[in-house]
Amino acid sequence: MSVARIGDAPLPLRKKQIMPPVIRGLLWAGIGFLVVNCLVAYLLDPQYGDPFITQPSVVFGWIAATAGWLLGIGGLENVLLPSFGITVTYPEATGWRRYFAYSTNHKVIGIQYLVSSTGGFFIAGLAAMLMRIQLMGDHMWFFPYAGQYIETVGIHGTIMMFSVGTVALVGGLGNYLIPMMIGSNSSAFPRMSALSVWLVPAGIMTVILSPLLGEWTTGWRGYEPLAQNDPNGILFYYLGVLALTLSSLMVSLNLTTTILFKRAKGLTWNRLPMYAWGILAVSLLNIIWLPEIEITFILAVLDRVVPLPFFTAVGSPITYLELFWLFGHPEVYIIVVPAFAIWMEIMPVMARKPLFAREWGIIGLIFVMMLSGFVWAHHMFTNMRLTEMLPFSFFTEMISIPTGFAYMVVIGTLWRSRFRMTVPSLFVLMSMFNFLIGGMTGVFLADPVINLQLHDTFFVVAHFHFTIIGGMVFTWLAAMYYWLPKFSGRMYNSKMGVLGAIWVFIGFDGAFSLMFIQGLRGMNRWVPVYPPYLQGINIVISIFAFILGLGFLFNLIHIAWAMKSGKKVQENPWQSKTLEWQTTSPPAEESFAAAPVVTGSFYDYEDDDESFSIPTTPGPVSM
Amino acid sequence: MADLLIFGVLWVVFSVLGELGVSAWGHNFYYYTASTQALDGLSASVFLFRFLTPIFVFVVLMLIFIPLRARRRSRDSVVRGKGARFNATYVTIWVTLSLAVNLLFFVHPTTSAAEQMFKEMSPQAEQHDLVVDVVARQWQWFFSYPQYGIQNALNANGNNVLYLPVNRPVEFVLRSYDPNHPYAVGLDVIHSFWIPAFGEKMDVIPGETRYMVATPTKIASTETNPEVRVQCAEVCGPGHPYMYATVHIVSDAAFKQWVKQQLKAGN
Repeated sequence: MSVARIGDAPLPLRKKQIMPPVIRGLLWAGIGFLVVNCLVAYLLDPQYGDPFITQPSVVFGWIAATAGWLLGIGGLENVLLPSFGITVTYPEATGWRRYFAYSTNHKVIGIQYLVSSTGGFFIAGLAAMLMRIQLMGDHMWFFPYAGQYIETVGIHGTIMMFSVGTVALVGGLGNYLIPMMIGSNSSAFPRMSALSVWLVPAGIMTVILSPLLGEWTTGWRGYEPLAQNDPNGILFYYLGVLALTLSSLMVSLNLTTTILFKRAKGLTWNRLPMYAWGILAVSLLNIIWLPEIEITFILAVLDRVVPLPFFTAVGSPITYLELFWLFGHPEVYIIVVPAFAIWMEIMPVMARKPLFAREWGIIGLIFVMMLSGFVWAHHMFTNMRLTEMLPFSFFTEMISIPTGFAYMVVIGTLWRSRFRMTVPSLFVLMSMFNFLIGGMTGVFLADPVINLQLHDTFFVVAHFHFTIIGGMVFTWLAAMYYWLPKFSGRMYNSKMGVLGAIWVFIGFDGAFSLMFIQGLRGMNRWVPVYPPYLQGINIVISIFAFILGLGFLFNLIHIAWAMKSGKKVQENPWQSKTLEWQTTSPPAEESFAAAPVVTGSFYDYEDDDESFSIPTTPGPVSM
Repeated sequence: MADLLIFGVLWVVFSVLGELGVSAWGHNFYYYTASTQALDGLSASVFLFRFLTPIFVFVVLMLIFIPLRARRRSRDSVVRGKGARFNATYVTIWVTLSLAVNLLFFVHPTTSAAEQMFKEMSPQAEQHDLVVDVVARQWQWFFSYPQYGIQNALNANGNNVLYLPVNRPVEFVLRSYDPNHPYAVGLDVIHSFWIPAFGEKMDVIPGETRYMVATPTKIASTETNPEVRVQCAEVCGPGHPYMYATVHIVSDAAFKQWVKQQLKAGN
């Protein structure tokens, strides 16, 4: 372990056995909730009729439960007690158990994030399947009440956005790969990182349990003043998102610091891998905008619990909308910027050609990051003054220019290359195609006059699924197949991989391209009941959606199978030059036995070093 | 050079096919239009389609064509791609064109169509409009016609109904509160007033008054085309899917007749 703990040397160490951390965390969370909840509900703030759960009691109970969870999982021995100079050691978990325990190893943390994200993805995906079952009929037939359907939409969106979209490529792949890519054996703040990952399951569970407090019907955006009038389930939406965004914020602080200060010797800004640039850009977005939405949600919680009138009719509902989208649009770039970076990471390796116009790719990432703060109100053309529309329309159209640079760089890289059509490259091409459709339809939405018709219809639903599933999820799959040999030392089955890619492509494009048409025909969002003329197209979309759901499941099973019992491959099967491939696959506890020194570009395939050798024992790597 | 030539030919061919498709089907983008505002939106959309088609074809063709042409033919482990790491002409053309196309889109149709809309909604343009007061509550639409003294337009079944004369500009005055509980100011939420066939919607916000202008161009009704309906487009609670009302666009004479009948019924 490269991290020195406080009080490492002189104190005599007590060895202590603890129960499985996850079990202990759950137990402490339960105890924390019961104690604090009862304290508030019965002693500090008793309400008429002595209800067991009140709004204040559940908020404070949740805070205690989250603290209990983090302490129980290992925060007590590793963070809290050392802060007071007390050292407790206990046998470190080994084997699969270490993935269910506090660990400061960035690779373990990366896998923990990936597993949490995958769990969130399939839970929220199941919610989507339930929605599609309901939408096969034009009346209530699957869900008993409309509110339950709308709540399912909200849970789907919330979990997808905050535990998958912003987490998988940043907390997951970022934590695993970024320290290795910049030649470091650890991230900058390993203990913070070790705790932050456990906020993800806590946040997902909070959102899933929200129906216990009542059907909230706002969707993932928590629009006011509806949120004020909704049942208390909305509190668990705010608190769950708070936990998830705090986790992402800590990831970003950690990875930004890692990239700034832990780069290997010779890894100048001009040589920094594209994925590190992407993570840097997205981390800056997170650091700027996540605190903003967290404060907004705290205001919204106070609005309900105190209560205060910030966002009601006597306050200003529009202010909440502005505050939400001020974060909400950068959010979608938080999701796709790492995906752009992964395109530019994978494609030169598959093309065996230097990355074309690398500087322009970086300029694209940085300008997307900066412009994303200027476009939020295009979500609000239907509720803003006419005079406010055009600036947002302008920046929304302009942001397509730096976004296009990612395409320019990849196309330039592929041109006259020796392209290898592998499963990762197939997924990247599909991702670029789907994101292109998302971008092109965005041009229509950026135009206020057209937006007034398309806003809040399924056209918008299709548009943002093309950008998020098309841009991010397809790229996530590309990345999982690309780095699978790194994680496990094994290779996927090509035929199964191609089948998986085509399967999800057909399911995805079938379902969501029809949603454009459906929206144009007058299908609005958040409705389990709709006019009968829309039923036919809804049934077809549902069938494609089920195909898509099964396709994702197929890819999950295939990847899991390949990691466990795929064919063993050499350590650098793609002959990539980036540093993470210069370690053993799977990497050892310490990725690099000696600090690597970088002497050239990672994307240069034109030198004479045609079949560069992979050191059998990790040692200084020079290029 | 051969690559470039083949690609260029394919690009032109597919772009022409795409443009023919836009000419043939582009006007169906808005499935059903029953107002001048919808027609404005539609023509803006068709313009965007015209320009986006060659761009879309270019990128998609690149994504398919290059990997196919460049696919590694041998299984050598040491192959390297040829080609430059930078090409000033390509980058210059790409950056200039994307800037030019976006500036063009901002000028036309974005600003030009928006200016048209601003003009229609300006006070000067609203001299002889029919004024319809729209009140949204959870979960119902109320329509009243202050110029005719109709307080709450209802059909024979007692459901809220919207009648509009054809070819006459209408100004909808949009408010969100509960007329049955006017003392509870914190009661209502954001709704969105949308008639799909009119090609526009406007949010109805508690504590604020918003306006939407439309000029119906066709005699139609919810019964003849379900896109002619008032639909709440912003999620407003569990009753949101049920928050719709029927719409009738009728001739001037029929409208006068309907007004008389409403007044007689004491609505």
